Amino acid sequence: MPATALNPASSSVLSADGLRKTYLSGVQRLQVLSDVSLEVAAGESVSIRGESGSGKSTLINLLAGLDAPDVGRLLWFGQPATPDRRAEFLGIVFQSFYLIPEMDALANVLMAARIRGGAGAAERSRARDLLGRVGLAERATHLPAQLSGGERQRVAVARALMNAPKLVLADEPTGNLDERTGDAVIELLLGLCRETGTALVLVTHNVAHAAKCAHQLTLRDGTLC
Amino acid sequence: MPWPIYLALKQLFPTGRRFPFFTLISITGVALGVMLLVISISVMGGFQHEIRKMIVDTQGEVQVRGEGLIADPAAVLAALAQVPGVAAATPFAEGVALIEHERKPAYPGIQGIDLARIEAVAPLGRFVRVGSLDDLDDDTVILSSQLAAGLGARLGSRIEVYSPLLLEKMKNDEVMLPRELTVVGLFEVGHQQLDSSLVLVTLRTMQDLYGLGPAVHGVNVRIAPGADPDAVARAVNETMLRAHRVQARSWIEANEDFLFVLQLEKNMIFFLLTFIIVVAAFSVASSLLIAVVRKTREIGLLGALGAKPRQVAACFCCQGLFIGVAGTAAGVALGFVFLHFRNDMIRIFTQLTGSEEVLARFYQFSRLPAHTAREDIVLIIVCAVVISTLAGLLPAWRAARLKPVEALRSE
Repeated sequence: MPATALNPASSSVLSADGLRKTYLSGVQRLQVLSDVSLEVAAGESVSIRGESGSGKSTLINLLAGLDAPDVGRLLWFGQPATPDRRAEFLGIVFQSFYLIPEMDALANVLMAARIRGGAGAAERSRARDLLGRVGLAERATHLPAQLSGGERQRVAVARALMNAPKLVLADEPTGNLDERTGDAVIELLLGLCRETGTALVLVTHNVAHAAKCAHQLTLRDGTLC
Repeated sequence: MPWPIYLALKQLFPTGRRFPFFTLISITGVALGVMLLVISISVMGGFQHEIRKMIVDTQGEVQVRGEGLIADPAAVLAALAQVPGVAAATPFAEGVALIEHERKPAYPGIQGIDLARIEAVAPLGRFVRVGSLDDLDDDTVILSSQLAAGLGARLGSRIEVYSPLLLEKMKNDEVMLPRELTVVGLFEVGHQQLDSSLVLVTLRTMQDLYGLGPAVHGVNVRIAPGADPDAVARAVNETMLRAHRVQARSWIEANEDFLFVLQLEKNMIFFLLTFIIVVAAFSVASSLLIAVVRKTREIGLLGALGAKPRQVAACFCCQGLFIGVAGTAAGVALGFVFLHFRNDMIRIFTQLTGSEEVLARFYQFSRLPAHTAREDIVLIIVCAVVISTLAGLLPAWRAARLKPVEALRSE
């Protein structure tokens, strides 16, 4: 059960406690997040909504360990979040897909496994399986430039799930897609997370997409509510 | 395969695409530098090799000379046979002479050779293009090809030889007739100086012309395969210097200054041409830096997927390395292709510019020599690959410093 107050539990895959983030804008200090706490249990899906500039992406970056909070504590599976645990623990889906253009869809999915430690026959088989599950089995050898926006995002979803992470963080994954394609991607993401027991934190503008998650939070004035 | 290597290869040679322009330009730059180095160093090595070959094939590897004349060459030859590393030896007498054919004079060098021993030391017979060394006797002569052409002499022509001794006697109003010798052969070593001004006669003829009696000017020595010429010369000096009053010098020592200048030229060419590779490396660095900027968000993605900064750096270092390896391989291959067809290319060029004779006159060789030493190629390869890899360091450092969150946010 997500909460704005930290409530450590053995099943928590993500525990954020009192996260605060301030940026310097010229000489002005801009507090983006103030005292954000969040707990996500295994297999749980949580949506975070908020207006543009409310700090959603900043929060995702903090939760992913890509940026450090000024104050606060972040735990992944009860252990401090460190960059070397990211490949094993986290899958991330970005709004802009971020596929490597020189590699085909299969190689892009496998890249997550390569960075984690290797891409043997088992990983290759899993990558093919994931591409099949996102409906791209026939497009495995296609380059990103040969795929539509929706297909690229589905490849990104498969890549996020490649290492069987405990948690997937999705930062406005439908932001660059049309409504119909966006709906399909969200269904796919939620379905796969449900199937694999993976927790999901979904940052989105879309009310309908947010409503599909088990828990809905809103980021307002730098805090979650 | 570690992923930085895999990704480096993918970025240089993307799936399903033609050879990327950036990769092609980078590899071509390194290849051109390496090719020029291979060609230049091989040609310089060729000059060295040809000179060595010419000296060794006409004089042997060690030359023994007396303080004056060697009065008893048989004793010296017998003593030389006992020196370790000496394979064969042949006495010689040498000087200059005025020769004349159909009133055309020339002042070539003249060398008297011991027909029974010469082939074991200096395979002169190999250079006789017309006639045969076997036909040489005390009444005959073998002329260098260009000298014969200059005199208008052919096989069977009779030439008159005036030695300094003869001229001295004529100066004292003695009536002396020049020695008449019949041309029985023409030789061509491939070195312009030798091919235009050398005459071969028998040792006895030369001893007569110079009034040497049984004495000779020196002994040429062929050393055993694998033996060191300097070591053999030292051994000869240690055992024979006092007893026979002779001194041995290896061909390396005798031509020390010339060989030093050749080596210096070769080193300077290597040093200067290496800068072509350095310039190419700057181009590689520039291209990779552009790639870092162009792929900033991908670098951010790698960080987001869990890549460590040193792995990202390794990816760009590997790109420099692969460009270096590919460029070096292509450069070495192109260099060898050029060297293989060098004489055809030079012939076409000199024919177009009408400079065939100039080439022979100024460079002493009728063909462009080339000799590629294995250690030179290894040095070129190591230099090119190391310099290219170093070119990847700055982009690698830039890439490693990028923070994933900032890289992903970049436009």
